[in-house]
Amino acid sequence: MGMIILGLRNLLRNKVRLVLVAILIGVPFFLLLAMYSIGDAMQRQTTVLNENVNTVLQLRGRGSMGHVNMVGQDRLLPQDTLEKVRGIEHVRQAEPYLLAMAPITPPNFVMHVGLAPGAVKRLESHGEAGNPRIIAGRDFMPEDAGQDVAIIGQGYAEWAGIRPEDVGKATLTIDPTRTHPAIFGMDRPTRELRIIGMYASGYIFGDLQLFMPVETFRSIYGIDQGISWLFVNVDNVENVPVVAQRLQEAVGDVADILVPESAAVFTATTSQRVTQLTSVGGILAVALMVIVVFFVLLMIVRERAREIGTLKAIGASNGGVTTQFLTEAVALTLLGGALGLLLFRGIGEIVTGRLFALSIGPFLPSHYRPLFESLAINSNLSASTLALVIAVAVLAAVIGSAYGVWQAVKLSPLEAMKHE
Amino acid sequence: MNKLLIDNLVVELRSVSKSYRKGSETVDAVAGIELTIQERGMVAIVGPSGSGKSTLLHMIGAMDRPTRGEVLVAGQAVNRLSSGELTRFRRQTVGFVFQTFNLIPNLTALENVALPMEFNGVSASERSVRAKTLLERFQLGHRLKHRPRELSGGEMQRVAIARAVANQPRLVLADEPTGNLDSRSGQIIYELLQEVSRERTVIVVTHSEELARLADRVIHIRDGHLVDGPNSGHKVVSVTP
Ligand SMILES: Nc1ncnc2c1ncn2[C@@H]1O[C@H](COP(=O)(O)OP(=O)(O)OP(=O)(O)O)[C@@H](O)[C@H]1O
Ligand SMILES: [Mg+2]
Repeated sequence: MGMIILGLRNLLRNKVRLVLVAILIGVPFFLLLAMYSIGDAMQRQTTVLNENVNTVLQLRGRGSMGHVNMVGQDRLLPQDTLEKVRGIEHVRQAEPYLLAMAPITPPNFVMHVGLAPGAVKRLESHGEAGNPRIIAGRDFMPEDAGQDVAIIGQGYAEWAGIRPEDVGKATLTIDPTRTHPAIFGMDRPTRELRIIGMYASGYIFGDLQLFMPVETFRSIYGIDQGISWLFVNVDNVENVPVVAQRLQEAVGDVADILVPESAAVFTATTSQRVTQLTSVGGILAVALMVIVVFFVLLMIVRERAREIGTLKAIGASNGGVTTQFLTEAVALTLLGGALGLLLFRGIGEIVTGRLFALSIGPFLPSHYRPLFESLAINSNLSASTLALVIAVAVLAAVIGSAYGVWQAVKLSPLEAMKHE
Repeated sequence: MNKLLIDNLVVELRSVSKSYRKGSETVDAVAGIELTIQERGMVAIVGPSGSGKSTLLHMIGAMDRPTRGEVLVAGQAVNRLSSGELTRFRRQTVGFVFQTFNLIPNLTALENVALPMEFNGVSASERSVRAKTLLERFQLGHRLKHRPRELSGGEMQRVAIARAVANQPRLVLADEPTGNLDSRSGQIIYELLQEVSRERTVIVVTHSEELARLADRVIHIRDGHLVDGPNSGHKVVSVTP
């Protein structure tokens, strides 16, 4: 039989308790796995953000917001800035944008953006966020260059009375003559653009934009030269300061250079918070297991005091008694771990998604949401997950049972002699 | 003492006392006992409740240490054994029979009897054969696979005696082994212990004068002291070689 087998057989002595304890240990295991997967997702998230957010610098005309029709803010970057920037080492990509404002029902305004069909559709004042999700119609294609087509934000579309099912047929009239306290009129003819796509950013101002091919923008507003914003993509986050320095030297006299410091800080603090939260959650889960094991072992040792005394009286060594109870504890936590894994496989994605949203929701600007959602929580059984479960099960069993085992070892064989 | 006599002694108590502290005063459960017990035969320890019978038995079985004096069992000073030596002593030299049987509830009769042999390093096949033989000898051949709760009290105690002798110890200790049994089952247990005592020394604590009469020697104890009683001397036993 051996003390290990004896310990395993002891598990089955009280089946109701076995199920209860497995659940009591399984639930913290589930929690631990959820925290682990959130941490894992956060890790991947940070990588994505580091690649896509922290490496983008923004250039604007010196002292100007760079909107072609904004009162006092209409100075643009000279057209040759693009060539100068592209010549700088470590610059992976430079994407020019043109921006105009258009008044809608007071007191709001919307933003018209001209860009190359393949460029990332960034949202005004939230330049970090990447392409918003297309919810109807299609995205730009190379052949859209110079065509009178546009992709509209759902907020703007709602104002214009364009429903998602109209996309492809609906048109929108651009009238550059319209004014607003912050917008001056431009003496240009109106133009009808066909709406080929509709997007949603999950962010109210982000949804008030209209994207069109940059050549179309130039011909509507009569801007032959100049760039509103130039997004400069650096090949690596470490090279951002160097590139910023080179940019300063090359175009500093005409451009304001916005280094993505705030984005980096935001990402760092967010991921730090999530990491802290998941670590605290993980530690709590393990602590819960330890507590459950602690009380179960204490209960078992009390219940079996006479039996432990008898085992000693008939020749069990202290090591044997330790082995028996440790086996029982490890088997219990492993069973709980298996149950936690099963639970996690079953409902992990749903619950963890919720937990994820809840845990970082307060720290997360809404325009990040699509990005976060694009990274599904991974509830697959990887080798590292399995290793984590086994390691934690053994750890919790050893720590949780230490006191109980010590009590058992300390018991005198005289316990066997006591009657009731 | 000549050498033969020393070799024949299995238990020797030299001025053994055991005191307990009860608040400010100390109670002498056992006081200055001198006792020798020979190899083989059944010894009954009798006396009123609280007289120190169990305390005496526990010290002989190395379950408890004397406050003063020395306990020698099979030539070993048991009160000076290390924890490892104590474990070996329990495996090889002494077997216990309890008033409450104390079988391991989730093991079968056969497994219960095999357990001390396993502790003692007997191979799986050998201990299974030996356990089966023992149980058959004790008229339990039809109960090998039964768990304790499926056995009667008398049957449980017979399994417990089989377990106590599994490693063929020189000494078997029993504290009121019939205390939880009816007189009929008690009678069977005593006959069994008597049979066991042909090959080894059996020391039984009992309240029953009737059962004490079956013993080869009766030790009377009162207030922690040995007292002379009827049948307290060494009886010549036929099995002594
Ligand atoms: N652990 C202990 N602590 C304090 N006193 C004890 C302890 N064990 C025994 N005693 C005392 O020692 C004395 C002898 O006890 P013991 O159990 O040996 O008696 P006994 O002859 O076996 O009695 P019984 O026939 O009732 O079993 C009693 O007065 C008892 O109260
Ligand atoms: Mg007693």
